[in-house]
Amino acid sequence: MSNIFWSNIFRSGDSELRTIARLWQQTPLFKNIPERQTELLCGKMHRRRFKPGETVFSFGDQGAGAILVLEGSVRVMVNTTELALLEPGDFFGEIALAAAERRTADATAVSAAQLVYFLKQDLEEWIERQPRLGARFLMNLSATLAERLYRANDLIAQQ
Amino acid sequence: MDWKSSPHLQTFKLFALFVAVCLASFYLISSVLLPVLISITLYALFEPATLYLVRHKVNHSLSILIVLLFLVLTSLIAVGFALPALFDQVAVLQSKLPQIAQQLERFLTHYGEVISAEIGTDLDVSELTVTALTQFSSLGQSILINATNRVLDIVIIFILVPFLTYYLLKDFQRVRNNLMNWLPNSSFELGWVIYHNVTAQLKAYTRGVMLQSLIMAAVCAAGFTLIGLDIPLLLGCITGILNLVPYIGPIISMLIAALVGAAMTPFDPTLIYLGALVIVVAQIVDNVVVIPAVIANAVNLHPVQVILGIIIFGSLFGTLGVILAIPGIAAGKIVYNNLFADIQNASLKTGA
Repeated sequence: MSNIFWSNIFRSGDSELRTIARLWQQTPLFKNIPERQTELLCGKMHRRRFKPGETVFSFGDQGAGAILVLEGSVRVMVNTTELALLEPGDFFGEIALAAAERRTADATAVSAAQLVYFLKQDLEEWIERQPRLGARFLMNLSATLAERLYRANDLIAQQ
Repeated sequence: MDWKSSPHLQTFKLFALFVAVCLASFYLISSVLLPVLISITLYALFEPATLYLVRHKVNHSLSILIVLLFLVLTSLIAVGFALPALFDQVAVLQSKLPQIAQQLERFLTHYGEVISAEIGTDLDVSELTVTALTQFSSLGQSILINATNRVLDIVIIFILVPFLTYYLLKDFQRVRNNLMNWLPNSSFELGWVIYHNVTAQLKAYTRGVMLQSLIMAAVCAAGFTLIGLDIPLLLGCITGILNLVPYIGPIISMLIAALVGAAMTPFDPTLIYLGALVIVVAQIVDNVVVIPAVIANAVNLHPVQVILGIIIFGSLFGTLGVILAIPGIAAGKIVYNNLFADIQNASLKTGA
């Protein structure tokens, strides 16, 4: 067991960092981004723990970045309609990486959850250091947002 | 709606708490406030240079060292070449202060008599001006003597600033992230949004205003040299620094240039007008070319907010307050607006 007094309480363990990097790499956002760079970037991300039933964000809140589910599950809802039940490895809220828009849904932790925040601030600082990879990431982000738009259009067309 | 639950009141309470925390932090570091502020300014100025080197595959620590080495070398060159010349000009200005006071007294007495004759009262302007000028003269001399005597402070700044700047460039992001982790889940994203907006604006403002001051100092120093005014380099530097204070700064620098022109022997009134003209031309260059290109919309404040802010910050924190007024108000405005938007959104949901 690690000693909270002697250990750096802010530093993620190496294995946990690798787990976070591996999960992000499996998402379309990090397609073709080298593993080493993803790990470096994950070292700057922010882990938060949520209790069951705790609000992650509400409709209309100001969003600061994308969120990856590391442990537990998160329910995303609009009004009373459930949009998704997210499990470890899923991510949401990526619109906040692209635009200073407000959250478009409610997100609540269903069980005790650990979430990893990839903030717009982190992305901008990373782009300043790695503009080429940053451009690749932004292309991935655009593709992801476009994909979500197509799906939303499909849903509307079906209704 | 109950006024106690009004979003404005709740925002005001939170904002007051934020201001109190900021003031307490400033008070805690008041003994090293100046080196800390200089280091933060240098951090904002040199961070892009460090990142440029990092982008070109230079190690991060080495990039910082290269940038700092450049800073130290530039400072040494300034100390070696520019500062002796500047100190000579300070000495010249110091010796000219009594003459400046005399010229100002003559000028004010003359116009005082004219005003007295116009309004038909027996105003003893000369006595008033003599009292004011004696105080002005002793204040001016004491400022100059203090500035030249505070060598120890300058040495401390020269030692402390590179260290602080190095650690800011190296560890600021890590320390900031650790501090932001203390925010509760409910305010985590809001905290980052506010931080992101405030720093983006302050960085743009700091970089813009430094470049603006440098341009103004160069334009004015060149102008003063062209018209043959005494101590052009010092006057250019003073104008550049005073340019940090909008509206009021250029007027003060115009007055100083006019007074230096008035104190020159033989007395040549055209120098007074030309000195003022140089600053007017520099202001036109500033407003037409520099501000749109360099500062643009770095801070979007109403002139009334700026003037009131300068007066309030100046009366609370002195000279430093005058310089910090604009970034302070700009940051405060962003914090208030973001807090208000969040509280309003929450109250709308509760109401709905």
